[in-house]
Amino acid sequence: MKTWLLVLLLVVLPAVISAQSDYIEVNAPGNRQLKLAIEPSFSLDGSPTSDAARQSSEVIAYDMNMSGVVMAESRTLLPHTGNVSLADVNYAPWLSAGYDMLVRSELGLNGNQLAVEFRLFDVTNRKMITAKRYLGTAKDLRRFSHSFADEILRSLTGEKGVFTTRIAYVSTQSRNKEIYVMDWDGNNPLPLTKNGSINLNPDFSPDGREIIFTSYKRRNPDLYRRSLSSTAEIPISNRKGLNITGSWSPDGNKIALALSKDGDSEIYILEKDGSHPTRLTVNPALDLYPAWSPDGKQIAFVSDRLGKPQIFIMKATGGDARRLTTTGSYNVNPRWSPKGDKIAYSRMVNGGFHIFTIAVDGSSDTQLTTDGSNENPAWSADGRFICFSSVRPSGNGIYVMRADGAGQTKVSQAKGAYFQPVWSAH
Amino acid sequence: MKKSMAVLLAGLSMAALLAGGCANKEAVKKEEPVVPAASITETDKSVDTAEQARLAEQARLAEQARLAEQARLAEQARLAEQARLAALKPAAAELKFQAVYFDFDKSDLRQDSRDVLSKNAEVILKLAAGTKVQIEGHCDERGSAEYNLALGESRAKSAQKYLTTLGVKADTLSIISYGKEKPAVKGNDEAAWAKNRRAEFVIVK
Repeated sequence: MKTWLLVLLLVVLPAVISAQSDYIEVNAPGNRQLKLAIEPSFSLDGSPTSDAARQSSEVIAYDMNMSGVVMAESRTLLPHTGNVSLADVNYAPWLSAGYDMLVRSELGLNGNQLAVEFRLFDVTNRKMITAKRYLGTAKDLRRFSHSFADEILRSLTGEKGVFTTRIAYVSTQSRNKEIYVMDWDGNNPLPLTKNGSINLNPDFSPDGREIIFTSYKRRNPDLYRRSLSSTAEIPISNRKGLNITGSWSPDGNKIALALSKDGDSEIYILEKDGSHPTRLTVNPALDLYPAWSPDGKQIAFVSDRLGKPQIFIMKATGGDARRLTTTGSYNVNPRWSPKGDKIAYSRMVNGGFHIFTIAVDGSSDTQLTTDGSNENPAWSADGRFICFSSVRPSGNGIYVMRADGAGQTKVSQAKGAYFQPVWSAH
Repeated sequence: MKKSMAVLLAGLSMAALLAGGCANKEAVKKEEPVVPAASITETDKSVDTAEQARLAEQARLAEQARLAEQARLAEQARLAEQARLAALKPAAAELKFQAVYFDFDKSDLRQDSRDVLSKNAEVILKLAAGTKVQIEGHCDERGSAEYNLALGESRAKSAQKYLTTLGVKADTLSIISYGKEKPAVKGNDEAAWAKNRRAEFVIVK
C-alpha cells in the first residue's frame, strides 16, 4: 500500500506541477494523468442500474475531475448479469481500456432506506485500496457519494477532500440581497435569510454550523449570527455606524470586523457574542475586511492609508502593520490560505476585478482569472480550491477553480446575481 | 303673500341652521355658495311689519349662527389639514433637499456640493424642532462592495460635518452608508456613476 501510494504520488506530482502553468498540459506525454473509472452502482439483487446509481457515479466523477488529481469518468464496460459481488473484479477490461483505478459500488434502496457501499480498486496492482459503507435515506445519496470522493482523494494524496462542504453566498434571486447556502458543487441551494433587507458578507464559523453576516434589517449595517439549522438571527454587533466584514477566528472564539463607532472604519476584535471590542487599527484612513491567518496570530486587511485600497498584514493583537500588495492601485478582499503561505485577493484591473494570489512575504503575485470580472475569493479548507463570484460572458455566478487558477467552473445553478461566496471548513 | 314669503324664508333659514349644525365639514363646503349673504339683505328691504322684521331678524341671526358655525368647521378642517400635512412633513420637506455629488473614490466636498449643502442647511433649520435628518452615503458600482460601504460613510460624514459648520445642530443629524447597494440610477457609464456617487438627505422623524 505504502509503495503503491509513493508510486502514485510520483506520477501525480509532475502532473499537478505542470498544471500550474497550463492545466491542459496535464495530458502531455510523460505526464500522463491517472485515469479513474467510476462504474455506476449495481443493486444488491443484480437488477439494472437506476438513475440513482448513475447520479452517484457522476457526483464522484465530477468531484475527482475538479480536484485535478485524476481524470475521472462514469463508465460501464461489462453488463452485470446475475449475482455480482463487489469483491470479484475482472481487472483485465479496465486495464486494457487504460484505467488506473476503478470505483465500484453496491446500492440498495428499500423504500426510503438507502445502503450504499463504495470500493476503490487499484487496477494495475489488482487490489482494493479502500472501501466505505453508508446507511441513510434516499436524499443522502449525493452526500455519501461526495464523502467517498473525499476518501478517494485521501487515498491518493494523503489529504481528505472538501466535497461534503458548502458555500454560503449572497444572491438577488428574491430581488434584494439575501444569504443562501449550497453544496460546494452548486446543488441543493437553500435560502438562509428571508428578511427583505440588504444582507452581506456571510462567514462560516469554523465548525460550519453557523454564519455571521451584515444586515440592514434594522436600518443600520449590523452584524448578526445565525445557525444554519435555525431561522433566529441574533444581533451581535449593532454599534453606531458600520458593523461589517465580520470574520470568524480560526478557533471560533472571536470575530474580527470593521466598526466605525469611533469615527472612521477601523478593525476590531470581538468575543464571539459581540462583547469586549478591542481596537486593532488607529488610523484616519478606512480599514476593513480583516482575514485571519490560519494560526490566528496575524490579520490581513484592506486599508487606504496610502491613498488607495491596498492589502496590509498586522499582528492579531494590533500593530506591526506592513503593506503586502505593491502592484496595482486597488487591491481588496484578502483571504488567507488554510496552509498559511498565500493570500488570495481581488485587484481592480481596467474597471473590473481579477483574482490574484500572493505569498505572505509579498512575492509570487500571480493573476488567476482573466475572463470578465471576478471578486471575493475564498479558500476551501484543504487549500485546493478557491471560490469566487464572477461576471463573465460564459455565465455569471459562483465559480470554483483550483488554487493555481486551473479548472474554472461555474457551480451556481440558478440565474441571478451572485456575490461574496465563502466556503465552510466542514 | 309677503307673510307667507317671510314664513317660507324663516323655514328655509331654520332648515339651513339645522343642516349647518349637523352636516359634516364636507357638506358645509358644498352648501356654501347656495345661500349668498346678498340675497338676505335684499329680502330684509321688502319686509315692513314688526312681525316680519322680527322673523327676518331671527332668520338673520340664524344665518349668522350658521355662517359662524360654518367658519368654525372650516377652521377646524383647516387645522386638521394642517395637522395632516405636519404629519406628512417628512415627505413634503424631503422634496426640498438636494443630493450632494462626489468625485470617484473621494469623499471631500466640491464647491457645488457646498452650495447645495448650504441650501439643505436652510431647509433643515426651518424644520420643526425635534425633526431628525439622516444623511445617506452612496457610491457608484465600481470598486468593492465592502470598501464602498466605508467610502459611502465617509461621504455622509463629510456632508454631516459641513452642515454642522453651517449651524445645524449635531443631534439633528445621523448618517448611514449604503455603499453601492442602492444606486439612484442604473447604468454602467460615467453619467450614471456620477449620479450614484452621492449623499442623500432623508427626514427620519
